[in-house]
Amino acid sequence: MTVTRRDVLAALATETDADRETTTSVGALASALDADDRAVEGHLRDLDACEFARFDATGDVRVTITGEAFLELDLDAEDVAVVDVETDDEER
Amino acid sequence: MPDDESTESADADDVVAYDPASSEYDIYECPDCDNVVLAVGSDDPPMSCHDVPMERVSDVEMSVKSPDVKQVLFQSFGLPKAGLDICLCVIGEGPLSANDVAAELGYDRSTITRYLNKLVDLGLLRRTELNREDGGVVNAYHSVDLDRMRRESKAAWASAYGGDEE
Repeated sequence: MTVTRRDVLAALATETDADRETTTSVGALASALDADDRAVEGHLRDLDACEFARFDATGDVRVTITGEAFLELDLDAEDVAVVDVETDDEER
Repeated sequence: MPDDESTESADADDVVAYDPASSEYDIYECPDCDNVVLAVGSDDPPMSCHDVPMERVSDVEMSVKSPDVKQVLFQSFGLPKAGLDICLCVIGEGPLSANDVAAELGYDRSTITRYLNKLVDLGLLRRTELNREDGGVVNAYHSVDLDRMRRESKAAWASAYGGDEE
């Protein structure tokens, strides 16, 4: 089954919590979405680049408060959404 | 305040069909190219296109070729190629990071940021600041939801003035 990045973020927000820092595994999230593990992990890496998801040292993952705030924008699937994250170099 | 159904009904009422018998306006087309002009009032001086007189359209079944989206954006907003690429190539893909867009389109990230802000200035995108867990903010650029903007404007008006804005 094809899964979109938005689907993955929405499922991640359902399965985990930013404030309590509860996590899930990539496999469990893929099962919840009935999707391929590698496809889900690819989306999670891209969401991590947007600061919407965060991996821990064990490889488990959770939504961030930034990801939860993004979902609250309630954008349509066809909407443009680009996230510009300042790098450490630019902040100095 | 009108509900959504009555708003949609009002929108549908705004649709106007071309009436060649009307004396209020005329549509002219160029016999040599795709140029079509709506003229309100008298045709004086006569409509012309590249110095060739235009012909008044009397057929309601006239076909008008849909304009190219890139051409419209370029002519209407003066967006150069980079802005057009960003505007058209990220629809439905998101959320994407600016770095992803830069890599995909082959531009510097600073170029992506500059044109995202340009698109915000033009009203084609909206920018929302989201808090980062480690402090600071990230900028999320997303489509302008015109329907929601209209609803929120009406609600804000009603809240400020205690009644219907219309």
